[in-house]
Amino acid sequence: MKIMVCIKQVPHQDARLDVNGAGTWIQEENIKFEINPYDQNALEAALQLKDKEAGTEVVVVSIGPERVTQSLRTALGMGADRAVHVKDGAADGSDSLGTAKILAAVAKAESPDLIFAGFMSDDGNLAATGPMLATLLGIPHTTTAVSFQKNGAIQVERELEGGALEVVELNTPCLVTTQTGMNQVRYASLKGIMAAKKKPIDVKTVADLGLAGQVGADAAKIKIEKLYTPPKGQGAEILSGSVDEVVGKLVGKIKELGLL
Amino acid sequence: MSSTGDARPFDLLAPTPEHALLQGTLREFVAREVEPQANEHDRSERFNHALFRRAGELGLLGVTLPEEYGGAGLDAVAAVQVCEALSTSDPGFALSVLAHSILFAHNVSVNGSELQRKHVLPRAASGEWIGGLCMTEPEVGTDVLALRTTAKRDGDVYRITGRKTFITNGGVDEKTLGDCFIVYAATEPERSEGGERARRRASSEPKAISSFLVEKGMPGFSLGQKWKDKAGMRASFTAELVFDDVPVPAENRMGEEGEGTLHMMRNLEIERLTLAAMSLGIAQRSVQVMVDYANDRKAFGKPIREFGQIQRYVAESFAEWRSARTFVYDVARRIDLHGSGQRLDADATKLVATQMAKRAADAAMQVLGGYGYMGEYVVSRLWRDAKLLEIGGGTLEAHHKNISRELARNPSMLRD
Repeated sequence: MKIMVCIKQVPHQDARLDVNGAGTWIQEENIKFEINPYDQNALEAALQLKDKEAGTEVVVVSIGPERVTQSLRTALGMGADRAVHVKDGAADGSDSLGTAKILAAVAKAESPDLIFAGFMSDDGNLAATGPMLATLLGIPHTTTAVSFQKNGAIQVERELEGGALEVVELNTPCLVTTQTGMNQVRYASLKGIMAAKKKPIDVKTVADLGLAGQVGADAAKIKIEKLYTPPKGQGAEILSGSVDEVVGKLVGKIKELGLL
Repeated sequence: MSSTGDARPFDLLAPTPEHALLQGTLREFVAREVEPQANEHDRSERFNHALFRRAGELGLLGVTLPEEYGGAGLDAVAAVQVCEALSTSDPGFALSVLAHSILFAHNVSVNGSELQRKHVLPRAASGEWIGGLCMTEPEVGTDVLALRTTAKRDGDVYRITGRKTFITNGGVDEKTLGDCFIVYAATEPERSEGGERARRRASSEPKAISSFLVEKGMPGFSLGQKWKDKAGMRASFTAELVFDDVPVPAENRMGEEGEGTLHMMRNLEIERLTLAAMSLGIAQRSVQVMVDYANDRKAFGKPIREFGQIQRYVAESFAEWRSARTFVYDVARRIDLHGSGQRLDADATKLVATQMAKRAADAAMQVLGGYGYMGEYVVSRLWRDAKLLEIGGGTLEAHHKNISRELARNPSMLRD
């Protein structure tokens, strides 16, 4: 069985985020990056399947500049078998559809039985790439998996609104996007880290994938016009006293401001 | 197919992709598994054997050991990373890991025979065995050459008699001895009554010291008293070990008779450097804690970080920590684990880092005031732990002596 895991490198959760000079994205110089937390769960799900089924191959795929190598090596250290790195300035500025097209081209070459991806990325929060990728490949998919089993077919418990869960069964090939917390993500053991030195990272360009001119900023249908920190409000007033007093004061305020 | 190679700019703290990955693993391991148990094991003075085995599973006990024996075959920088990271959370546990992996396993790796390496290293790297180094005796510390434990040849065995004390990992609990130890003992051949031996002892000439691997289960080898109520490092187990005419097979002697002193010297650089690395971890955590507290705590209507007195503690501690860290990692990258040549700097790193860490922990306690003095806050533990590093693995005074002597012998060290 072959599993493809889509990984995005995003700013580390502890990184200090500032808007860049152009006001269109964050300042990416000198900040720490990590594998998107949702994708970490996706990778762990794949590795758990590999632990159970001998002969399973896990291929991680990522798009981005040189720094992405570090995330791919982390994935290899955790136990993935090999990596594909789409490293090409022509991919910069791709929207979800452009990203999905690149991943679809890799998936067509790899023909995986199963694709895992994080439900969304920690930076864009669009939750669109996974379903778009499945659609481009013409395979079934499900999203926000909180548990996963494979007994012949794939059974997924997925999270719905209001705490409800839905159980979905899919035939392979298929795509599953994962919710954080679905599993406890392992860390790379030293044995894994040393083994990763010998695992290949296959570097591709957009042209290698036959997508020249079809992805990247120029082809994107969604563009970020402006990124900014919302202006601070007028300030809050904290009401104190017993519950009855606070409720009384609150009602008085609402009336005073003519909100009712 | 092609490989991207490594185009990362030089990073002193993680010079290769493997070091960078190790850094990530250590960060996660410490946050998820070490930190939650640290206070409790300090309070109860218990060694966490399960966590030790978990460190073995992750490969953290065999960082410098050869890959063919279950290690990672990495360098001194990696060993420093491990000791530093563990000490940001639990210096007591870090000390157990260091005593096992550096004082014991790395020593066997460098000084042991092929057969001994094959026997010991895979068990040490996995954490199946816990080991330690027996040097100090009840009446002999820094003047190690005056040790009194003896090993007398008796056919195919040596009979070892004596007592060793302050042995980290001497046991895993009150009743259970550690698994394997390097024991330094005097192997002078017996001479006639009042002969050569007595003459040498009287004239305090150096004895012939040899190294032996002594394993749990050998007759006459037992756990003596456990040292309780230590000021710090309470999550490591410190014990006295008793050798009562223990028959140790001759094949358990490391190297030749009389090579014990050489073995000690060969391992000193990495020992001192990793102990210095522990101090870095203590200082880093101390700075983190004081900065967080100084931002949150208010006095006279503003955060205390706005007061000059507090700023001095924070800034001095930060700058001293960063300086020591750069020094330790720079020496680490130059140390050849199978050679020597960094003795002076290894002594100097420990001399400077241990005192720096004690000052940083003290500053953190001062910034936190009454809260810092309370047991449930981590700084009082760090403050207690920091002190040991000025004593164990070479006292400050031993470093003073070594550094001064080395500079007198080799003044060219000061010219480049």
